[in-house]
Amino acid sequence: MLWTDKYKPCSFNEIACQYDAKVKLRQFILEFSKQSKKAVLVYGPTGSGKTSCIYALAIQHKLEIVELNASDFRNKQQIHEIIGQASQQQSLFNKGKVILIDELEGIDGNKDRGGIQELVKLLENSSWPIVLVANDAWQQKLRPLRSKSLLVEFKKPEKETLINMLSRIAAKEKININSEALDAITTFNECDIRACINDLQILSMLKKKIIKDDIVKLRYDDIRERDETIFHALKLVFKSKSGTLNAFDNVQNLNQDDFFVWIDENLPKEYKGQDLAKAYDVLSQADVFRGRIRRWQYWRYLVYIMALLTEGISGAKKTNNDEFTSYKPPSRFLKMWLVKQKIAKKKTITEKIAKQTHCPKRVAQKEFPLWKMILENRKIQEELRLEPEEIEFLKR
Amino acid sequence: MAKDTTKSDEFDSTIWTERYRPKEFSDVVGHEDIIKRLESFVEFKNMPHLMFTGPAGSGKTTLALVIAKKFFKDKWRDNFLELNASDERGIDVIRQKVKSFARTKAIEEFPFKIILLDESDALTKEAQHALRRIMEMYTTTCRFILSCNVSSKIISPIQSRCAVFRFKLLEKKDVEKIVDRITKKENIKINNEALDVIYKKSNGDLRQVVNLLQASSSISKNITDKILYEVISEVQPKEIKAILEIAVKGNFLEAREKLLDTMLRQGLSGLDIIKTVSQEIWNLNIKQDDKIKLIERCGEIEFRLVEGSDEFIQLQALLASFSSLK
Repeated sequence: MLWTDKYKPCSFNEIACQYDAKVKLRQFILEFSKQSKKAVLVYGPTGSGKTSCIYALAIQHKLEIVELNASDFRNKQQIHEIIGQASQQQSLFNKGKVILIDELEGIDGNKDRGGIQELVKLLENSSWPIVLVANDAWQQKLRPLRSKSLLVEFKKPEKETLINMLSRIAAKEKININSEALDAITTFNECDIRACINDLQILSMLKKKIIKDDIVKLRYDDIRERDETIFHALKLVFKSKSGTLNAFDNVQNLNQDDFFVWIDENLPKEYKGQDLAKAYDVLSQADVFRGRIRRWQYWRYLVYIMALLTEGISGAKKTNNDEFTSYKPPSRFLKMWLVKQKIAKKKTITEKIAKQTHCPKRVAQKEFPLWKMILENRKIQEELRLEPEEIEFLKR
Repeated sequence: MAKDTTKSDEFDSTIWTERYRPKEFSDVVGHEDIIKRLESFVEFKNMPHLMFTGPAGSGKTTLALVIAKKFFKDKWRDNFLELNASDERGIDVIRQKVKSFARTKAIEEFPFKIILLDESDALTKEAQHALRRIMEMYTTTCRFILSCNVSSKIISPIQSRCAVFRFKLLEKKDVEKIVDRITKKENIKINNEALDVIYKKSNGDLRQVVNLLQASSSISKNITDKILYEVISEVQPKEIKAILEIAVKGNFLEAREKLLDTMLRQGLSGLDIIKTVSQEIWNLNIKQDDKIKLIERCGEIEFRLVEGSDEFIQLQALLASFSSLK
């Protein structure tokens, strides 16, 4: 059984965070007759507990849920058939009813033609509460729904709450996992509750004692698998001389920022010497355009970026490297995270120095090697109130 | 807690920069003209907003602290707020802190409180305009002392509201005087050659002088130039030069690995790196023409960084041009 199901919340109180949102949502569903709006639009990042929250309410208050999500087709006719009927009929078994439309952005402009308009129409005379769920409430196509719905925002769960939740699950499952590893799980999954619990379960299948490195390795393998197409695209760009303009078109889940780091990571494996310098010159030119987009919010520069990243990089080399090269996922962010963990103590020490000696942190940071020598003196350690871990860090 | 840590400089600090930080105007070495004027402010119990400009370690913060202590005597902690523009994120934080501090009147008979805003040249132009408003808003309850390295980075409306004091780099005889004072009190010896090295190495930055002295004294109570070189070589960043040498040999992958590592470990920004690179180019064993070419590249990359490009990608592009030299 998936732990995401096993440990899903079954009542209002079990929903770990999102206090404001869950109160609003409960009020809307239980006091539907008093509401001026017929639907609630719940939005927030993936894995923040939007759908779980609704199911938990339904379980606790014995409501029937009629659900439609992205796996169903959702054109005008289908929406009318399923939701239209449900919104008028009495519930089977005489229970209350909630109509849940999940993954709202999945309604496709073409295939699900007329879907949104039909929804808007149905909202107005539904006799049951309609819950709409989306990641981003502010996208253009949801505008007609937005004005007719009560907006409820789910925020990214807080790290501490999530870590608590995970350690409770770990305790129930008799898994040995330390706080450092839990911290890594939440960091890598960007506080996505579902992804965190999934990771915990997968890791627990391999071993009962989980450390930080297991998680690092897991995420690494995962990136590999998910992004098979990026390997193909890189190969195309690196191995051909031209005709690569559309190389990245089929790469899902990644955006141009990702293309930069992927190319950056793997470029030196394919290009050498002059070719490498030329290719990096092209890459850095593309990056200049990226900076300009940020600065001027002029998105047409994207065209130039993609041209440079594909044809530009392809054409930068004199000779083709025909040998097989194995590409690697970008390691920069992984490294940044690992090093950040390592030097966290340095930061707290420099803060203490800066405070005590009336100097900017930047200066204390710059003179840190000198301070390392001065801080060998036990009395000074005491004066700065260094923690044992900080003193330990100084010894390394 | 915060109060506790600042309190300890009143009893004897173990950190020399604090132990020997002047507490009276008469303890301060150099800056005779500035001190005369500052003393008169204290005497008449009134002062305008002040701006201290000058190089690091020339005594700006120290004099601001002396003023506060002389003005407010033992109540100086309640009436003096020290903020650092480069440490606080954004003008909003400063505004909040200033507001909550300035909202109440100075305790007892004092006409105003004093706020020291260190590194005020780190503020953006927009933030400086906001600061100017803040200065006007609280002018009845507060005086500001702005300290900065370069006065030209401060917008003129602020400058015109302040009495500007220009601090000069300490001269060698001043540095010697201070070193002498410390060595006598700490019972350590130092030879003349070592004194020369300290002065040259620190460029007259007193904070560095004292820190160097304390670090050296942890090795020996008899400080010679040899010991100083030992300390300096230990703390000197050698990584960038090594990285460039690796790159010049054509080993790009290793060079970039080390670069990323150095940046992350030491918390250096792309601009920090570029500054060192542009100095180290001249020490590399390559043709003069190539050096010029690389300097030009450096300038271009630095421009892009200032414009807001990605520092890792730009630096790697620079590194790649090092490895492609023939």
